[in-house]
Amino acid sequence: MLDLQGYGPRLIEGAGVTLSLALLSLLLAIVLGLLTASAKMSRNWLLHKFATLYTTVIRGVPDLVLMMLLFFGGQMALNVATDALYDRFGVDWYINLNAFAAGVITIGFIFGAYMGETFRGAFLAVDEGQIEAGRAYGMSDWLVFRRIRFPLMMRHALPGLSNNWMVLLKTTALVSVIGLSDMVRVAAEASRATHEPFVFLIPVALIYLAIASVSELIFARLQKRYNVGFGGH
Amino acid sequence: MAATPMPLEARNIKKRFGDTEVLKGLSLQAHKGDVITLIGASGSGKSTFLRCMNLLEQPDEGDLLMHGDEIRFKQTQRGREPADWKQVVRMRAKLSMVFQSFNLWAHMTLLENIIEAPIHVLGKPKKEALEQAHALLERVGLTARANAYPAQMSGGQQQRGAIARALAMDPEVMLFDEPTSALDPELVGDVLKVMRDLADEGRTMVVVTHEMGFARDVSSQVIYLHQGLIEEAGPPREILANPSSPRLQQFLAPKY
Repeated sequence: MLDLQGYGPRLIEGAGVTLSLALLSLLLAIVLGLLTASAKMSRNWLLHKFATLYTTVIRGVPDLVLMMLLFFGGQMALNVATDALYDRFGVDWYINLNAFAAGVITIGFIFGAYMGETFRGAFLAVDEGQIEAGRAYGMSDWLVFRRIRFPLMMRHALPGLSNNWMVLLKTTALVSVIGLSDMVRVAAEASRATHEPFVFLIPVALIYLAIASVSELIFARLQKRYNVGFGGH
Repeated sequence: MAATPMPLEARNIKKRFGDTEVLKGLSLQAHKGDVITLIGASGSGKSTFLRCMNLLEQPDEGDLLMHGDEIRFKQTQRGREPADWKQVVRMRAKLSMVFQSFNLWAHMTLLENIIEAPIHVLGKPKKEALEQAHALLERVGLTARANAYPAQMSGGQQQRGAIARALAMDPEVMLFDEPTSALDPELVGDVLKVMRDLADEGRTMVVVTHEMGFARDVSSQVIYLHQGLIEEAGPPREILANPSSPRLQQFLAPKY
């Protein structure tokens, strides 16, 4: 029988950390991705440059380096800011950047850049006539986006989105370096303490696989929904 | 007594794309019940002129009026733009457009296409919009296709569906941008018949078309454009039967 030697509850807790970290990062990445795609397609020169800088930096620097930069550097920057507040205005305020928030922000920012490219390509694939019809019928820009542009875009974005999500899910394992007890970190600790790596790492691998499989099902459903009207699959 | 303001008037519309001036000062007055057809060779500017009327293209100069209400413009770095987009949105809601490539929303059924703008733009209750949509579908002969998606319909069905979508807005003026040009010849007739019925019931229409039969039989006024200018305009019986401009004579001459 599988004997987790008392690490079971912590492993389950770690799986919870992994899943919530991944879902919140995904949410942030989607929001950032939509903003980046809009900025890149905008006629505003400054927005365009800014979005290009963002995707270039994120895609050119290793995830692990970004994460440590944000966690350690972010805390230092916050300290400098709060010290300045104290010196100037006597406001005594200390903000502790917790590892979970730092993880969500870093992973969200990294995948926001990738999502931005996915969304941009998908937006460009939407037939302009569909958008024009919306405008010609008196729809505001927001209504056109919500009712026409977004649903038509999703059909093209979903394959890339699903791929990004799978990579994002596995990237969460990096948060152990900033001290967050996700399931990988718990498993590593337990393996070291008990000298039985397989007992802990195989269940962890299976949990990742389970999350990935459920995701596949969900994406298949979404794909079906956004393919409505286009025939095929 | 003051004359009733016209549903749609365009005055001295000019438009350039880069270095090319495509519209060189075009005017049009659509009175209630008018059916105005715009004809001319490709590149004469007829579609661009039509698209300026609901501001899918921004005219560089000129005025647009709906019932005497003038659209306000402002100059920006990117050129001339409407000063008040809400005014434009209100205007567009009264001007339904029918496109050459139909442009029915691909992710919605025909029925959903028809009720979309009435519900979300005009704020009609859904029940009322649905009743109206079913009546319109019957009118264009598509009752059986209410739940079909555009991709499952023939071009002629899509265009008749698009006309039903346009009618659902209770438009004051309908704009048709080459509505039969993308259709197989055997499907053109059904669409033209629907348009003919609309003209007969007194709808105000501006139609860009290559269908000379339609221009001759249905329209109250024909405008012939050549290189961004109105070369000749008048009632169809006069200008199509006896064109005075050599260019129009040539345009109307049998091609083979």
